[in-house]
Order: sequence, then structure tokens, then C-alpha cells
Amino acid sequence: MTLPLDTCLYVSTAIFCIGVYGVLSRQNVIVILMSLELMLNGVNLALLAFGRLFISEGFAHAGAGVDAASPSTSHAFVVIVLAVAAAEAAVGLAILLAVYRRWRSVNSGEIHLLSG
Amino acid sequence: MDAFVFHLCAILMLISAAVVVTRKNPVYSAIWLVFFFTQIAVCFLVLRSPFLAVIQILVYGGAIMVLFLFVLMLLNLSPEELAETVSKKRKIIAATGSLALFLGLVLTIRHSPTINPDLGEGVAPVDLTAPLAEDLGVAVTQAGEIKQIGFTLFQEHVLAFELTSIIIFIAIIGAIFLTKTRRAGGNVKKTDWKGATPAAETVAPETVAPETVKEVG
Repeated sequence: MTLPLDTCLYVSTAIFCIGVYGVLSRQNVIVILMSLELMLNGVNLALLAFGRLFISEGFAHAGAGVDAASPSTSHAFVVIVLAVAAAEAAVGLAILLAVYRRWRSVNSGEIHLLSG
Repeated sequence: MDAFVFHLCAILMLISAAVVVTRKNPVYSAIWLVFFFTQIAVCFLVLRSPFLAVIQILVYGGAIMVLFLFVLMLLNLSPEELAETVSKKRKIIAATGSLALFLGLVLTIRHSPTINPDLGEGVAPVDLTAPLAEDLGVAVTQAGEIKQIGFTLFQEHVLAFELTSIIIFIAIIGAIFLTKTRRAGGNVKKTDWKGATPAAETVAPETVAPETVKEVG
């Protein structure tokens, strides 16, 4: 059994699209934030799959002569995505708490002050 | 073996992700999300990034999920508040939209010459679980180890790292500012330097009627 790159990318695409479905079809803001986490994780998986591709045999030898980026670049990118995801969750949930205090609801259908 | 583990975890991941977005009760969603994070950490291990697998469990499975569950506990939503009024039409539109996005991305991946190079007859595509060549050097063979990630992060991407620290700092300030409780008069309750409430603002508990306590809370 082998693991080609496109399998990884299909899995990460599927996770991302499940997250998109969650964001579009749910009204509970907490579940919407969870779907956002799903989307970010799908992106992380794709990044790491590419990072693994560029250290595998054929690619690493081909890229050795080129002034290529460090093989750990994708990992560094994922670390930054993780940090941004943590910040996003913290601010999102804080906004949710403030909204709940004002409207007594976490339903995005009932919070329509900003809608035109 | 590695490839088998990846496929197994991929199936479990997709199932748990689908469960996360369909449960009515967000607590079940959160629990399934923890399961999803452990599965994706295993996938990270298969893709040779042990450091990020550990970080995934610690930050996502630990910190972020505790944050979610803490907010759920704090809000203590009743079943009426959890009820959603999503119409069938909106669900179908959302499903169609995300499915169209999925198909578009799959077609892009399928036809990309970078991902699927024309390798010719009988040449297998790159196997991501194959062992690495021995002569590649530490920077390649240990690309997912913490030492190499640290070198990359602090030598090549130090500006991005600093900007991330600013983002987290602003997030901390924002979270504290947004969740700060304001009193009815618009002022935050004042305390003196010893942490005690000034006498003028202190209200003895027995003088407060139960109704007002409810309103303040």
C-alpha cells in the first residue's frame, strides 16, 4: 500500500469542504467556530503533505542544486497557522460571550444588527 | 503499514468531521472534534512531523478544546437556545456549494502537472511513506524535528514569527476587553489597591432582593 500525494490532498480538501458546509449550514456560532478549526486543519494537512513530498527521494535530489527553501518551511508555516488559529478561537469565543450578554442568544440568525 | 494507518485515520477523520458539523448539541461536536484532532495528529506522524503532531494534541486537543468547552459551560445553553431554524433550502444550497468547491479542487489537483507529473508508463508516483535517502543530510532527513523547525523559524521566517507574537498579544488584549463585565452604570466596579471593594459600593447581601440579584447576574 502506498501513499501518493494526491490522496493526502483529497483528504485535506474533503475536510476543508466539510468545514465550509458547517460554516454555511449552521446557526450556532460555537459550531461555526469549530467548523473554522476543521478548515484550518485541512489546510495544515495539505501543507505537511507538500513538506513531506519535497523531502522525498526524487524531489530532494532534484532540488539540491537549486537555491531552494529550507525543507522545514512547511512545518514553520504550520506552526504560524496554529498560533493564528489559537488567537482566532480566543477572540471569536470572547466576541461570542459579549454577544450572548447583549442578545441572550448564540444563534447567528437572531443576531442581525449588522445586516442591511 | 504507514500508508494503511494514514488511510484508516483519514476515514475516521472524515467521519468525525461530518459528525462535528451535524450534531445538534455543541458538546457532542466538541468531543468529536477532540477525536478528529487525535486522528489528524496521527496523520502528521505518518507525514514525518512528530513535533507538530505533539503540538496538535497540546494546542488543539488541549487548549482550544478546553476554551470551547469552557464557553459552552459558561453559557449553559438550554435546548430552546440550541434550536436552529435552518431551512431545508439553505442546507441544500450549503451542501451543493461545498460539494461544488470539493469537485473543483479535486479536478484542479487531478490536472495539476506539479502534483501529478507525467511520469510515463510503469513509473509509480512518489510514495510519501517511502524511507528517505541516506545521503541527504540532517536538514532534509530531520525536517520535521524541533531543531530544524526552530532553525527555519528563527533564521528565515523571523519577521513572520514576530508578527505572530503581535497577533497573539492583540488577541489576549481583545479577549480580556470583550469579556470584561460592565456594571449597570457603565463603569467597571472599582476596587482599591488592597483588592477590597470601597465601602460606598458594597451592598450587604441580605439587603438585596432576590429579583435584583438575578438581574445583576
